[in-house]
Amino acid sequence: MSAAPPALPVFVPGDYKTDLKPVWCPGCGDFGVLTALYRAMAELQLTPELTAVVSGIGCSSRLPGYVETYGFNTVHGRALPLATGVAVSRPDVKVIAVGGDGDGLAIGGNHFMHSARRNLDVTYILMDNEIYGLTKGQVAPTTPTGDKTKTTHYGNPEPAVDPCELAISFGATWVGRAFSGDLKGTVELIVKALRHRGFAFLNVMSPCVTWRGDDQFKSLKAKARPLPAGHDVTSRFEAFKFTRETDVLSTGVLYDVKSPSLNDRLDTIKVTARAGAPLVTVPEIVKTFLPSF
Amino acid sequence: MSRRDLTIAMVGAGGDGIVTMGDILSQAGARNGLNVIKTEAYGPQIRGGESSCVVRLSPSAIYEQGDAVDVLVVFSWADFGRFKGEVQPAPNAVVLFDEADPVARTREDLGIGADGHWLAVPFSKLAGDAGAKGSKNVVGLGVLTALFGLAEETIRRAVVKRFGRKKAAVGELALKAYEAGLVHGGTLPPMPERGLTFTPGPAKLLMSGNEASALGALHAGCRFFAGYPITPSTEILQFAEEWLPKMGGSVVQTEDELAAIGAVVGASFAGVKSMTATSGPGLSLMTEMLGLASMAEVPCVVVDVQRGGPSTGLPTKSEQSDLWQAVFAGHGDAPRVVIAASDVEDCFHTTVEAFNIAEEFQVPVIVLTDQSIGQRRETLDPTRLVHDVVDRAVPTAEELVEYKRYRDTPDGYSPMSVPGLKGGIYQTNGLEHDEFGRPASMAHVHETMNAKRYRKLKPIRDRYQRARRYGPAKADLGIVCWGSSKGAVKEAVLMAEERGEKVAAFIPQMIFPFPVKAFEEFRASVRQLLVIEISYAAQFYKYLRTFTTLPDNTIIFKRSGGKNLTISEVDDQIRRFFASGSQQKGAA
Ligand SMILES: Cc1ncc(C[n+]2csc(CCOP(=O)(O)OP(=O)(O)O)c2C)c(N)n1
Ligand code: SF4
Repeated sequence: MSAAPPALPVFVPGDYKTDLKPVWCPGCGDFGVLTALYRAMAELQLTPELTAVVSGIGCSSRLPGYVETYGFNTVHGRALPLATGVAVSRPDVKVIAVGGDGDGLAIGGNHFMHSARRNLDVTYILMDNEIYGLTKGQVAPTTPTGDKTKTTHYGNPEPAVDPCELAISFGATWVGRAFSGDLKGTVELIVKALRHRGFAFLNVMSPCVTWRGDDQFKSLKAKARPLPAGHDVTSRFEAFKFTRETDVLSTGVLYDVKSPSLNDRLDTIKVTARAGAPLVTVPEIVKTFLPSF
Repeated sequence: MSRRDLTIAMVGAGGDGIVTMGDILSQAGARNGLNVIKTEAYGPQIRGGESSCVVRLSPSAIYEQGDAVDVLVVFSWADFGRFKGEVQPAPNAVVLFDEADPVARTREDLGIGADGHWLAVPFSKLAGDAGAKGSKNVVGLGVLTALFGLAEETIRRAVVKRFGRKKAAVGELALKAYEAGLVHGGTLPPMPERGLTFTPGPAKLLMSGNEASALGALHAGCRFFAGYPITPSTEILQFAEEWLPKMGGSVVQTEDELAAIGAVVGASFAGVKSMTATSGPGLSLMTEMLGLASMAEVPCVVVDVQRGGPSTGLPTKSEQSDLWQAVFAGHGDAPRVVIAASDVEDCFHTTVEAFNIAEEFQVPVIVLTDQSIGQRRETLDPTRLVHDVVDRAVPTAEELVEYKRYRDTPDGYSPMSVPGLKGGIYQTNGLEHDEFGRPASMAHVHETMNAKRYRKLKPIRDRYQRARRYGPAKADLGIVCWGSSKGAVKEAVLMAEERGEKVAAFIPQMIFPFPVKAFEEFRASVRQLLVIEISYAAQFYKYLRTFTTLPDNTIIFKRSGGKNLTISEVDDQIRRFFASGSQQKGAA
């Protein structure tokens, strides 16, 4: 009889926790996202040293510090470029980008568009609180029109964007929406997002109790309900029916299609470029600069 | 006496094949082991339009493009007018122009004296007769070969290679045009004293500074490149995109420079050597991320191929005006390293050095080159492209016990773990942090960690006191310049030496941390200083004053870019200095 294979380590959610205490306000929605992430990672048994969590700047962007993987809390709006570097240069590393709505949609909006378009091999979790939390309450791209904030004393004059609608339009191949008050649902969606190959975008409505008051949580809780069974996740058109809702907040997988990821395409390029030849060396490249006649 | 070298300038309209003509001349030169420098200039049109090409050929070493043109070939006088002040024939130059040109110019217009030659050549007619109407340029090559003793057989092979590549018949027509030019050249007044005499040697590489920078990166082990196109740096991105996949690496053309440097920092954090290249406006966009790289101590390399600024400025022309931005632009106290390349070969070496410093000390390193060296082609000896490579130190098993990413070490840098290393997991950030990388905003932590990060500059300064010094150990005039000014300065110093004038030059490769000691030794060895730079604001002169004192009698020669520093400009400064007699006065 052959010997039993050595037991693999089994990770429980707590293994993904660092000993750093979150700076978030008590009751902040981001706690729910963090807890859901620990559970999702445990469910998938992600190897900590082969996982990287990258963020920009904001309350939500503090999250990498609380996850026991390689982590990098970078500069405002640039989580996705950093994630691009990690994901492309180290395809063996599972890359998770996180951040707030200001970080991802205002200052980092350009990167959101292009990361989605490239079908970057990254799971991007956006904690949408419809406000700038860290800078203490200014209007954000997702703040509803008319809302009063620190920089919209007379009501927000601008329309808000829907992050999921943007992601789908930009070419994301997996788009979901969650509510951090629904832990079970959020865990399920993070698991699905992490399983997806290519750019998976999860917008988590994550209330800011400090700058949006208790009302935001209450209203989100009242509005949140699962997407109807039988929603066609392969249809942009069907997905857009839910991205403009106002009275309800449909959670679940809005969109899910298969398409080669950026790393798939770059792998193909590497194969085509080499055409079966061994890796090129620098002296070989140097030779191409010698006149050959 | 045979000539030391030959500078040939060619000017024509779009479609005249000026660039091809320059390519063939320089490739043939490289093939025969001559030293070659080739530069090109274009009109503002994206495609077509006037172009000019200057090729300098020499059996002995050359360091800069020749500015007094020995031979001028003009296919179109109207287009020549558009390069006013950029292409200047010497008074004794040989000028060859198309006899069919509807625009007429006289030798007086161009200042060609009695010892020059003013020759109308039927370039278009000979091309037409050969059955290859568009091959004035090849006819021109034939004429040049006959007149100036160029290597006939080598050029013939180069012509066949270039034109017969796709269709053998096209190659044959081109050959006919070449022969027609040779025959016509034989009918012109012979001028053997003008010809180049040389013995062919082993072939040399012909490469641009941008290609050399990219090659240096690959040699250093760079396997990830991200960039956003910007003139005059784009060739680096293009080169990386072509070759990196064949080496198992990857390239991303990002949406902007913010993303480019972000991806580079991300890849480097992930343990892969990475680089981006840009020009002034792009470097401005990268500034915030350089602060992060400094704070999080992530190695990264940025090549800035300077152009004339601000803003779009002179996007196709050179200037040395990103110096302050490279050294000083940024928020907070954030150590970085700035080094400068001075010629094509140096682009290779400085880029490798940049990686070595970045990887060992975990700092961002900016390499300053500029359009003049980035885009010119130069011959290189293939055996010179060697340079030791330093790799990042990963933590040992011992260091992984209670791993501290930012351990406060005597030299300031601490072993950097990479994803995949089990005991080396850490979370980092741009926040001030403790030795573990945990956010910590107490004043004393900030002070300690600033000191740790800045401490790295000391070993860098000590080990990389890189500066070039030319000329006698004691000199009357000491020229201080940087970057691409080296070529013109070095040639002018050699010319002064021939005249018996004592001129030395000091050219730092390491810009920041500035090699103060080496500079001060130089300053003490000369009677008077002359600072030369291509920056209207005199950025270098003022930069020097930040780190050292300069005597009151220091002479400054500075001007805006748009035109590269020429040997004659430097020579003129030297002659003036000796003519004024001030070499007696200055304190040693
Ligand atoms: C370049 C730059 N501009 C501005 C800021 C200030 N800033 C920090 S976080 C933030 C917005 C935070 O809002 P969001 O991204 O929605 O995250 P939240 O705090 O709500 O989680 C701003 C404007 C900064 N850090 N960097
Ligand atoms: S300010 Fe808002 S978003 Fe920030 S931690 Fe507090 S509750 Fe959360």
